[in-house]
Amino acid sequence: MVKKLVLSLVALSLVFPAMAFADPTTTSLDMGLNALWILVSFILVLLMQGGFILLEAGSTRMKNAGHVAGKTIFTVGLGSLVYWAVGYGLTFGSDNAEAGINKIIGWGSFFFEPAITALEGDSYPSTIYFLFQLAFAMIALSIAWGGFAERAKLSSYLVFTLLFTSVIYPVIAHWIWGGGWLAADGAQDYAGSTVVHLTGALAAFAATVLLKPRIGKFNKDGSANEILGHNQVFSALSVLLLWVGWFGFNAGSAVSVGDGFFGYVAFNTQLGAAAGAVAALLISWLVTGKADITATLNGGLAGLVAITASCAFVDPWAAVVIGLVAGVLVFYSVKFFEKMKVDDPIYALSVHGAAGIWGTLANGIFATQVLAEKVGVGQGGLIDTGSWHQLWIQFESVVVCGAYVLAASFLILGVMKMVMGFRVTEEQEIIGLDLSEHGTFGYPEQMKKVQQNL
Amino acid sequence: MSDPVYAHMLTQIGTADDIKTLRGLRDQIHRQMEALLLECPVERLYSTLNEMHDALIGRVMVLAEEQMARSGNGSPPVPYAYILFGSGGREEQTLSSDQDSGLLYEDPDDEASRDDASRYFRDFAEIAVQMLQQLGYPPCDGGVISSNPEWRMSLSEWKTKLNGWFQDPDWERVRYLLIVADGRCVYGELKLMQAFQDHFYSDMLRNPIIVKHMLSNTMRHKVLIGVFGQLLKEEYGQDAGSLDVKYGAYIPMVNAVRMMAVQSGLRESSTLERLRGLLEKGKLSSEDAHAYSEAFRLFLRLRLMTTERSVDGMFANTGKLASSKLSKELTDELKSSLRVGKKLERRVNKQTT
Repeated sequence: MVKKLVLSLVALSLVFPAMAFADPTTTSLDMGLNALWILVSFILVLLMQGGFILLEAGSTRMKNAGHVAGKTIFTVGLGSLVYWAVGYGLTFGSDNAEAGINKIIGWGSFFFEPAITALEGDSYPSTIYFLFQLAFAMIALSIAWGGFAERAKLSSYLVFTLLFTSVIYPVIAHWIWGGGWLAADGAQDYAGSTVVHLTGALAAFAATVLLKPRIGKFNKDGSANEILGHNQVFSALSVLLLWVGWFGFNAGSAVSVGDGFFGYVAFNTQLGAAAGAVAALLISWLVTGKADITATLNGGLAGLVAITASCAFVDPWAAVVIGLVAGVLVFYSVKFFEKMKVDDPIYALSVHGAAGIWGTLANGIFATQVLAEKVGVGQGGLIDTGSWHQLWIQFESVVVCGAYVLAASFLILGVMKMVMGFRVTEEQEIIGLDLSEHGTFGYPEQMKKVQQNL
Repeated sequence: MSDPVYAHMLTQIGTADDIKTLRGLRDQIHRQMEALLLECPVERLYSTLNEMHDALIGRVMVLAEEQMARSGNGSPPVPYAYILFGSGGREEQTLSSDQDSGLLYEDPDDEASRDDASRYFRDFAEIAVQMLQQLGYPPCDGGVISSNPEWRMSLSEWKTKLNGWFQDPDWERVRYLLIVADGRCVYGELKLMQAFQDHFYSDMLRNPIIVKHMLSNTMRHKVLIGVFGQLLKEEYGQDAGSLDVKYGAYIPMVNAVRMMAVQSGLRESSTLERLRGLLEKGKLSSEDAHAYSEAFRLFLRLRLMTTERSVDGMFANTGKLASSKLSKELTDELKSSLRVGKKLERRVNKQTT
């Protein structure tokens, strides 16, 4: 018995030499902790898809619920494969690192085959970094679906997943995070107000404009009808899920445990979200005389979107201000898009677009020199340094990224619309996508009853 | 409408022999009223309009009695009072008000005649309500209508009913009390109505529980003005951009004034009369009474400008004022009147809590 034990220990120590010298160095311990935190963050961000499923389903009607919820699982699956094959390589590929083209796009690491463990000197394994980045790309994709809701064909989800994950998102991510030209200019976007949220929102905008409003959203005289979502409890729960997941999104973007700076990022995130929710409820109450739940939910999310760019760059008071402004902004933004007769079923344009722009610009106003140096990107903003430089850089990155995403999305979706058709038929839309695209209802009992009454 | 034309019209109504003729007269009145809307002072307009309504409804009662007689039911076994509640009771009917009504009849002497009377008035109310519908008065959605046995009883039954509401007041029953407070006899035996009101206006109305429920009923509809002094308009749907004048200006004021009047034991049913009464009783300063009355007059005028919709041949109204009808001056006037309404709302809230 003892002999067997000794023998197997010897054998094991041959396979895993570390076990024989079971005294981890500080660096490997550090690496391990980073890896663990980033993996947890990946899980949190992936779980945000659950938030999107509930948000989208709750904000739309019963007849589309199964489709709206289920398609997210499909697109996350497909998107993951595409990102692995192409997207990651175009964002972070370094085969062309020396060439000037790297300012525009990365190259290499296609069909990514990572090392099985962290390499010497790495502060985390590339496997985990890949997963974390993948989760971000999938969030941007799910935001874009807001513009598709309740009337796009299932096939258009498939095609757009392929193209968004390979040629739209990776370009923006490379410019700001992958060592591209905006990164070189010092554009600050800590966790992706622009990269993830604005990108997703503008794709949603292009989609909703090309699809045209849902049947019954606007009257002949231009006045809007309220198409209420079928489950406000889902929507509220989704906001909490997203809120929780956001700590992976923002604090995870520190990609290190190190000196505990990720805690500061999380701290600011909480303040921004809280301020957004409070401000939105109050403004809707003051302006319309009724405290609006949908506005409150949008406000919380807008606070989160806005603080995403700035969470590592600003003082706590500024995080509160950024959240408050985002909450008010999202309320008016929803009204604005409605007035423009743009149908935005999930409020993606306002929550992720308007608040994403605000959050990115807010860096140029509120970033402090000390924190900019700490993070190592750009410099302090207008208030701390009195210089307009950072605000200009932020503005530039919003405009340039926005223009690229908008142009690419309109092109891709426009071609899709011509070639394969983008929107379901009127009859299918009325009967609901659950039945027309999948053949079964998400709520069989209730919907059968409705059908019988038709 | 000039006085001779008006007198002629009343005569015509009073001698019309069938509903079709009456309907023709009502349509004629509508056309004339719409033309008068802008020139005539609002109180005169309403008093003319409501006299017309009263005359029409009164004539319907005569025709309904005749039809009862023709079908072998004879004439009414006991005197009765046909009561209007809601805007009819307050003499604030617009061109498109619905039927909020009740019926009250004298107690028959014995058991047998009690059943007869009950049967007679059941059939009578059915006919009257039908005829009024043909005249273009939609029935009340809430079932406050004389064809509903809950609102058609003998005097003693009514008293028992009121006592029940007084003794076991919940939110709903107090709502009924408030409906009754607007009641007015439009046709029939006035003395019956007085006896009914003698019973209604008692100390019970000052029971703290009743007062509490009255207040929450009264405050249910808020004046549609925001904290920044902005109008709170409809945001969605066909009437987007409109202001709900009925429930956002007129009704809150009616409710607040009724609350004060009922608490002061005033028996007037029209809002402006109630304000006058409150002034005489010293419950309001002349300044306040004037301001409230002026604001209310504006709301009355705006009510006549709200969007009309004809539903199944009946005159209906959304109670909402389209933004296209709100000129700059009118908006300013409306805002300051709504602020006055808000002040009254706060006053009533403070006084009774």
